[in-house]
Amino acid sequence: MEKLLLRNVEKENSHTIEVYLKGGGYRAFQKALKEMSPEDVVEEVKLSGLRGRGGAGFPTGLKWEFAAADIKEPKFFVCNADEGEPCTFKDRVIIEKDPHALIEGMLIGAYATGCRYGYIYLRGEYPIGRKILERAISEAYQKGFLGENILGSDFSFDLYVHSGAGAYICGEETALIESMEGKRGEPRIKPPFPVNAGYLWKPTVVNNVETLANIPLIIERGGKWYSQIGSPDCPGPKLFPVSGKVKRPGVYELPMGTKLEEIIFEHAGGIVKDRKLKAVFPGGASSSVLTSEEISVPMDFPSLAKAGTMLGSGAIMVLDETDCIVNAALRLIKFFRHESCGKCTPCREGTDWLVRILERIEGGRGVEEDLEVVLSVCETMENSFCGLGMAAHNPVGSTVRKFKEEYLAHIKGGKCPFRSS
Amino acid sequence: MTYDEFREEVRKLKEEGKYPSLKSYTLPALWIAEKNFPCIDHEVMRIISSELGVPLVEVEEAARFYAMFHTERKGKYVIRVCTNLSCMLNGSYSLLEELERLLGVKVGETTKDGLFTLEEYECMGLCDGAPAITVNEERFLKVKKEELPTILKKFGWKGD
Ligand SMILES: Cc1cc2nc3c(=O)[nH]c(=O)nc-3n(C[C@H](O)[C@H](O)[C@H](O)COP(=O)(O)O)c2cc1C
Ligand code: SF4
Ligand code: FES
Repeated sequence: MEKLLLRNVEKENSHTIEVYLKGGGYRAFQKALKEMSPEDVVEEVKLSGLRGRGGAGFPTGLKWEFAAADIKEPKFFVCNADEGEPCTFKDRVIIEKDPHALIEGMLIGAYATGCRYGYIYLRGEYPIGRKILERAISEAYQKGFLGENILGSDFSFDLYVHSGAGAYICGEETALIESMEGKRGEPRIKPPFPVNAGYLWKPTVVNNVETLANIPLIIERGGKWYSQIGSPDCPGPKLFPVSGKVKRPGVYELPMGTKLEEIIFEHAGGIVKDRKLKAVFPGGASSSVLTSEEISVPMDFPSLAKAGTMLGSGAIMVLDETDCIVNAALRLIKFFRHESCGKCTPCREGTDWLVRILERIEGGRGVEEDLEVVLSVCETMENSFCGLGMAAHNPVGSTVRKFKEEYLAHIKGGKCPFRSS
Repeated sequence: MTYDEFREEVRKLKEEGKYPSLKSYTLPALWIAEKNFPCIDHEVMRIISSELGVPLVEVEEAARFYAMFHTERKGKYVIRVCTNLSCMLNGSYSLLEELERLLGVKVGETTKDGLFTLEEYECMGLCDGAPAITVNEERFLKVKKEELPTILKKFGWKGD
């Protein structure tokens, strides 16, 4: 397939505005600004069928329509570059290798929704990305793509980078906004949604990096063209970061709906040392596990939901036959315990209990009843205040259900069967 | 950096006019402190609070909430070893143990000479290079245990 999202990344100095312009960069923005009304842009994005790539899969055109309809001023356009989902590193590639595609996507979005100021909320762990983005932003100012009365129009837009400082929960859009306001990252109750009451309680569009990188393509080639790529009910190209026990870990661009099996075995080179594949988390640490029998599933939002898991960030985490599933689930739930903001009880206490019980099982000190308790804690966590707690139990509950034998082997054998000592 | 210089930096930050609300300068101000002081202490927090008109307790809450801010003294170089799934599957815990041994500290501690702080860290988005570690802003990918002394020496480690 023709590379779309990754069309520039192999070029030398792809992060500079010269290279981006030479490849046709900022043409889509100029087209939007000069030939299209903001409503036209929203319609085109709606037509494309683009769904947000940050995890929730919300239709981008619809979000923009809501924001455009709100008349409170000023409005803010925020790019979510927090990329905190474990084993997700797709946005990093755009940020470091094609920052202008991101800026152009934001410009088009801000024009369509009437936003005056923009922020890129960048995770603190990406200092290299920060330098690249700041440089790219200053280049865009120099060329007149940012600032007041851009290219002689009435449209003005200022753009800044806001650095996070190490908190996964700040990827959740309302916690992100709290963090932009200088506070601890604790989610707000929804509704109101950020499009109506976000940063400083003003209308705020929050979109993921990858979502925005699609926008120039849609405007340049049309929403109809875009809607024909990949899965009909969830179209477009998708970036899949693949890691764990594959021969060629990396970010692969493939049409939405590509089979998980094809991504792992054809693109990522298969399993290291030609071992057997044991399990896959298909959509980051928050997704439910799939076994080796379940990997023919198409990678898109509806198909994975039907398979009882989720696309999430699209991060594919692969385990081979020598890896202990209990230990993997334990490590992931430890992550969530660390990142739980502590605001609500099901998540704060639930993650802690799951860590303690899994630690016991992994250490060979578990009892069979523990598995029941685990599943009931998982169920209770469904009632958490935000998406972190609602999904955090997935790697644990799903592995207990699908790899029960392995949990039982730990319990009955009194030790981890994968550990030599 | 002295406290007076820091106050000056926070004032300059405000003049940039990046945010329509002063409280949004809290994280940028904490970042300046993180980079220029061994730790974000109470005097630093008081300066931020008074310059931005944010209650001291809110500044302190923010400083303690985010994993990259140090409210305890840290070393000149912070070594972060990712132990999240892909790094764990590729051997990160043995890197962590080896670093503990080489530096003579436990995870979370700082070497006596004040050079290194060793941290176990969550995914840093470098999973295609697992196991990954960072030393301040520099990243090291697909790290092997044998390479650790060479990496440490780059930052002035005196051991062998
Ligand atoms: C716990 C949690 C963490 C999240 N982390 C991220 C993230 O790192 N990056 C991101 O773009 N979206 C993240 N999201 C989703 C955002 O809340 C939001 O839906 C998204 O940024 C909207 O952009 P999109 O519509 O373009 O996907 C997270 C959600 C939750 C509940
Ligand atoms: S679910 Fe977890 S992260 Fe979300 S509000 Fe509750 S405690 Fe905080
Ligand atoms: S799992 Fe280690 S960098 Fe992502």
